[in-house]
Formats: sequence, structure tokens, C-alpha cells
Amino acid sequence: MRRLAVRPAPKRLIPMLVILVAVVAAFAAAPRVYSNQLLLFNTIVYLVLAQGLNIIYGFTGYLPFGYVGFFGAGAYGFSLAVLHWHTPPLAALALGTLVAIILALILTPLLRLSGAYFAVANLAASEAVLQIVSNPNLTDFTKGPYGISLEKIYNPTLSYGAAVVTLAFTLAIVVYLKSSRFGLALQAIREDPISAGMAGVNVVRGRVLAWLMSALVAGLIGGIFAWYVSVFYPETVFDLSVSIFAIVFALFGGTATLVGPILGVLILYGIYNVIGISTPAYFQLIYGLLIVLLILFLPNGIVSLIDRGTRRVP
Amino acid sequence: MLEYSLLAGILFGLYFGLVALGLNLIFGVMKIVNLAHGDFLMLGGYGAYIVFTDFHVNPLITLLVEIVIFVLIGFPLYYLLVPRLQASRDPEMLSLILFFGLSQVIEALATLRFGSSERSIPGTVLGDGPISLFQQTFPVAWVVSGAISLLAVGAIYIYLYRTRIGQLTRAVMAQREEALSTGIDVQRISAIAFGIGIAGAAVAGVLSPFMMGSITPSMGVGITITSFAVIVIGSLGNPLGTVAGGIIYGVALMFMQTYFSSWANLLPYLLLIAILLVKPTGLFGRRMRNA
Amino acid sequence: MSREGSSGAGRPPILAVEHLVKRFGGFRALDGVGFTLNAGEILGLVGPNGSGKTTCINVISGIYRPDGGRVLLDGHAAGGLPSHRLVRLGVNRTFQVPKPFLAFTVRENVEIAVAYGRDPHADPREFIAFAGLGDVVERQAATLNSAQQKMLDLARALSTRPRLLLVDELAAGLNPSELEVVAEKLISLTHLGIALVVVEHLLGFIDRIAHRVVVMNAGRDIFHGGLGEASRDPQVIEVFLGG
Repeated sequence: MRRLAVRPAPKRLIPMLVILVAVVAAFAAAPRVYSNQLLLFNTIVYLVLAQGLNIIYGFTGYLPFGYVGFFGAGAYGFSLAVLHWHTPPLAALALGTLVAIILALILTPLLRLSGAYFAVANLAASEAVLQIVSNPNLTDFTKGPYGISLEKIYNPTLSYGAAVVTLAFTLAIVVYLKSSRFGLALQAIREDPISAGMAGVNVVRGRVLAWLMSALVAGLIGGIFAWYVSVFYPETVFDLSVSIFAIVFALFGGTATLVGPILGVLILYGIYNVIGISTPAYFQLIYGLLIVLLILFLPNGIVSLIDRGTRRVP
Repeated sequence: MLEYSLLAGILFGLYFGLVALGLNLIFGVMKIVNLAHGDFLMLGGYGAYIVFTDFHVNPLITLLVEIVIFVLIGFPLYYLLVPRLQASRDPEMLSLILFFGLSQVIEALATLRFGSSERSIPGTVLGDGPISLFQQTFPVAWVVSGAISLLAVGAIYIYLYRTRIGQLTRAVMAQREEALSTGIDVQRISAIAFGIGIAGAAVAGVLSPFMMGSITPSMGVGITITSFAVIVIGSLGNPLGTVAGGIIYGVALMFMQTYFSSWANLLPYLLLIAILLVKPTGLFGRRMRNA
Repeated sequence: MSREGSSGAGRPPILAVEHLVKRFGGFRALDGVGFTLNAGEILGLVGPNGSGKTTCINVISGIYRPDGGRVLLDGHAAGGLPSHRLVRLGVNRTFQVPKPFLAFTVRENVEIAVAYGRDPHADPREFIAFAGLGDVVERQAATLNSAQQKMLDLARALSTRPRLLLVDELAAGLNPSELEVVAEKLISLTHLGIALVVVEHLLGFIDRIAHRVVVMNAGRDIFHGGLGEASRDPQVIEVFLGG
């Protein structure tokens, strides 16, 4: 009898599941012992976004500078469903996520572009969506530049819970990609799309699925963000710095790993809050410098300090 | 109305050609998208603003000084960042991220130094009264900016096609690997192109308070995207193509502002995406850019 | 249309290329090339630089879409299909400049192709051993030398259990004893019924393994037959010597 091909060994799966459970349990329990729930919530938001970015950038190599567009699309999809149709929050979350996925589908042709063209075109796309949403002509529908207010459904406990569930779901996707042949196929596409095709991988399908998965988690957490904060402006949920943070966190930790983006968020977002600088420009300065130094001296993130080939890191 | 939009579009288009020129030169020579391009332009604008408000120096004089300063900044910056990048495994993506970081640094420093409010220089500084062109009247600043843009593009053209270094620069643009093997000092050529590229941004920046109404530290990202749109419409690595791209963009913008003013802000973004998807080789180029 | 080499047994040839055209801008890299190939046969594809050999392989393996003409696999049209579909139909190839997944280990390079190939239950070690990479299974592909990377290309291609293998300059840069090993390996593949198209500059190597050759020039096939006859064909001599 032929032996089964060696699949990624379960010994790699178990540490990842332990990490997943530990992180999710910590954030589920933390509000009982730590009073700053907003900080915990924002940390979850960035964990989800950094991992969502990891799905598309780490595994397939497409860098979406406009990743925040999906976050904003989810936030607006959620809010408009609540405002116009009085949709219950959980159903509105589904709608918000759907809006993000539809946006991703509309933008699928961008995946034909390589490297820098994709990144800049995606940035332009998210700016275009912001321009449309905040256009005063559409005030009746989107509230234009005046922003969204959802006091009636404000429920920090329930929306925090939804964020924890989303975190578990997002980490599970990354664990799946790290331990499945589909995840290996995505990385093969990143390494060399032509060779991936000759290995039998459907390159277009793989890229599109990764793109939709990363849009899905960003849209979902965007809707939950709208629910949690309940009052926001278009610039809040389409803020380019959300993309920047997600990119920096993922890069700092190390992409195409489960622990990299988690470490990135916990360390950098932790420092950000501990220092508690009140001038946004200082953040921007520090993060900008961090990007420059990372690319020059540690392009594979801090996990590469543990192991030269980051592919072995969980 | 139509004639006005068309002529204003051409004047703005010449200016946008200048705005994008440096980005195109740097991309052409070292295949790097300088995402901090718009931020160098912003710095050029603040330079002119501060020298004017504090010392009442005409921006056209500042412009000449800034060319020298930015070329001199460009040199060490190039040697600090680019050769290290080019030795890495994925220079294109890493340079994109790195220059994005640099863009954030510049914007942050500018915000800390200049504050985040909008600044402007009165248009009369460049000359009195509106100027008539083909029975249409335009602010002097527009015409002056258009003329300076033409001069700058002409200077780049002469540099590339009539000088020894320019000839070598074109060789590097066409075939970097072969240029290396024939013993051309690719690093020096690239450093010069980098300096000229950001000096071009600074020149456009000096004119930006007039052409864009005002300047803020956060204007960089939008300018970079617009510049990218312009060079994508034109063709990569070709200064004359940049001017054509700029004029098409400028005319489109003016028509949008005249007839669909509330949606004019969308134009650069949609134009960029549409052109990348429909004619990925640019309207005048045939370079491959598909994955 | 029937050319020499198509068997009379009524089964269509495993590969038939008919009047294939591929344009790059105004340049016709392929300008009506045609040939056929049967199971277990080795066809040498020779010709001067720029005659379209690699372009031909790129079209057959789905990397480029043809601009005209047909590619038939077992008599069914297969021109313009994406690579992964062609892999399922039994086509694979190696690259002139090897293209392994550099960040992957040798084992992962092969595993991925096994998993997505025609025989997902095959043992990756079979292909790694065949390619002589048994000692470097856990090494990162980036750390292999170029001869090893070429063999890894071959292992990956075989991992999908192809019936038609396109080999693009596998022999270049190998020493004589390595050449002989590779020649024997390629010949052994024909015993499994695999058909091979071999693009090669080393005519001695072609002579050693190919049953017949097609000489290409300027995107066209100008000669079909044995290598010995080819060397006496005035048109072939003109192309190779007259430049």
C-alpha cells in the first residue's frame, strides 16, 4: 500500500491551538479583572485586523494599503442597516460583513496587478469609498460627513463578546492556513505563482479566497466596532492609520505566522498605551520610524530572531 | 465655459505633470515607488511658505534654493536606504513599505513643527492681476506654474537626452543589470536621479500653495496617489509621457469640477483604478505590470 | 493533419501542436509551429536562440495563451487553459531558470505538488529520491545549488504524475557524468509511458535521448526527423551556421 503523503504534522497544530485558546480566554476573562474595557476592545480590533492583513499579505504577498476600506465598509453596512431598517445587531453584523465582502468582490480585478500597483490601487480604492460615503450629496443615506450615531443599540458587553468570538474565528483561520494544504498552496503562490500553477494549484482561486477571507474578518470587526463605539465619523473608520497600524503590527511580529501578529499587537499597542502619549503626531513619528528600521534591519519580524526561517514558527 | 475648462485643465495638467515627474524618474531608474513623494512636495511647500512669511522672500527665489537643498538631501538619503533594500529578497514590496514609513515620519515631523492647520501664500506674490489667454482670464499663479512646469520638464528632457550622465541614466532605466555589468556606476546615477526626483517634488511643492489653494502636513498621501495616477495615465519612466498624463488628468479634473463639482474629489482614485485595470500598460507605455 | 510520428493505431497523439502563433506586441515569437508526440516518445526541440522553443513550451504549459493555432492533448483542445488545469490533464514541465518555492524545504516543494497533482496519495519521497535529492530533503530550496534546483523542478513536475513532460534546458551546466545520469533518468521515464519534449542546446545530449527532433527557426518548424538527417539538411545548416 502507498503511504499517505506527509501532511503538516499535528505536533505543529497543537501549540497553535494552545495559543489560540490562551489568547481568546485571556481576552474573554480580562474585563473582570481590568477596568479599561475600551483598551481591551481596541486591542482585539487590532489583533483581528493584523491577522486579517496577515491572511492576504503574509500568505499570498498582496499588500493592501487600503485594508481599512473593508473595516469601514463593515462599520457602515452595520450602521446603515440599523439606522434605516432597524435590523437587530447580530443580523446587521452579517449585513455589514456582506458589504465588506461585496466590496472585496468588486475589487477582485485588482488582484491582477502586481506588487506596488496592487498596493497603491487598493489605497486609492479605500480613499474612493471614503469620498463616496462622506459625500454631502448622500447625507440622507450615509449621513455624509456628519457621521453615525447608534445610541439606541449601544451595548458594550454584548459587542465586546462578539469581538472575542470574532478574534477566535480569525485566529482559527490563521491556524487553518498554517496547518492545511490550502495554506501551503497560498504560500506557494506567494513564492512563485507560475510554479504554483505547475504544482497544480489554482492560483486565481487561491488568491481570491484569501482576499475574501481577509475582507470578511475586517468587515466583521468593523461592524462590531460601530456597535461598540456607536458614534463615529467616516474618517474614523476609513482612517489610513488603521491600515498602517495593522501592517506595522503584522510586520513587526512576523507575517505568515500565528504568533507574529499577536506579539506585534501586544507589544506595540501595549507600548502605545503604556506610554500614553497624547499627541497623535508622536505616534505617527514613532510608527513611521519603526517601519523604516524594521524593513532595513528586521524584514521578517521579531519571530525571525527565534528562527531564521519563519515558516517553522507557529 | 468649455474653453475655460479646457485651458484651465491644460494649465493644471502641466502642473500635475511636474508634480508627478520626480516620482516617475525615481521609478524609472530604480523601480522604486517613492510613497513619500507627496511628503517631499509638502516640505517644499512649507519651505516656500515659511521663507515668505518670515523673510518676505519671493517663492520663485526659494524655488531655486530648494532645488539645491533637496538634491543634497536626496544623496545621503539614497545611500542610507536604497542599496540595502536592493540587496534584500523582495526589493519592490519592501521599498514600498519603507517609503511608506518615511512618508509617515515626514508627515509627523511636519505636523509637530508647523501644526496641522492650512497655510497659504497670496497669489499676487507671483504677479499682479489675472492674465488673458485666448479670451479667457486666469490667475497669474496658474500661468506662472504652467510655465515653470514646462521649464522643469524641458530641463529633465535636456538632462536625459543631451548630457553624458543623462545618457547613462537612460541606460540604467532600460537595462539595470546590463548597465551594472558594463561598469556604469549605477549607484551614483541612481543617487543623482533620486536627488533630482525629490527636488522635482520640492519645485512642485513651492507652487502648491497657489495651485492647491493651501498646504497642510497631511496633504502628502493624496498627492502621492494623484502623482501615481498621472504617471500611470502617461507612461512609466518617460518624462514626456508624464506631461501627457498630467494634461489628461488636469483636463478631466477641470471638467469634473465644472460639471460634477461635488464628486471631483473621487477623480484621481477612480481614474487610477480604471486605468490600471483597463489598460495596465498606461496610455502611452507598454511595460508589463500584471501579476 | 498527420506528420511523421503520429501512430497509425487510431489513437490520437498525446500532444499535437498545430499552426501555433504567439505574438508579443508586433513580434511573432511563434509563427505557425506544429508537431506531434506519442506516449513514451522523446522529441528534441532544437534551434538557435530566439527561435521560439521556450515560448512554445510556455504556451503548451499554459503560461501564455496562444494567439492562433491549436494545442491538442489526446485530441482535445487544450490551448489557453490555465496551468493547473493542464497539470490535471497530465502536463508538466521544468524551467530553464529553475523556479522552486525558495522559502520551502525540498520536501514541501514536492508535497504541495503531490497534494494538488493527479495522485494525491503518492509518496513524496519517491520523487525526491528519483531526483537524487534524498540527502537534502529538509533543506530550504534557496540553499540548493542550481543543479539541485533544476532537479527539484523535475521532482516537482513528476510529483503530479504527468503523461507529457516538457523539459527546458535541464542539461545546461552539468558535467559529463551528471549528464549521463540525467539522460538515463529521462529515458527511464519513457518506460512509464511518459512523453517528453526536450529543449536543449547540447546536441550530444539530444542525440543520446531523443527519438527524433524538430528544428525551429523564427517561430516555425523547419525540419522533422532524426538529428543525423537534420545535420545534413541544407535549411538547418543555413539557420545554424549562416545566422
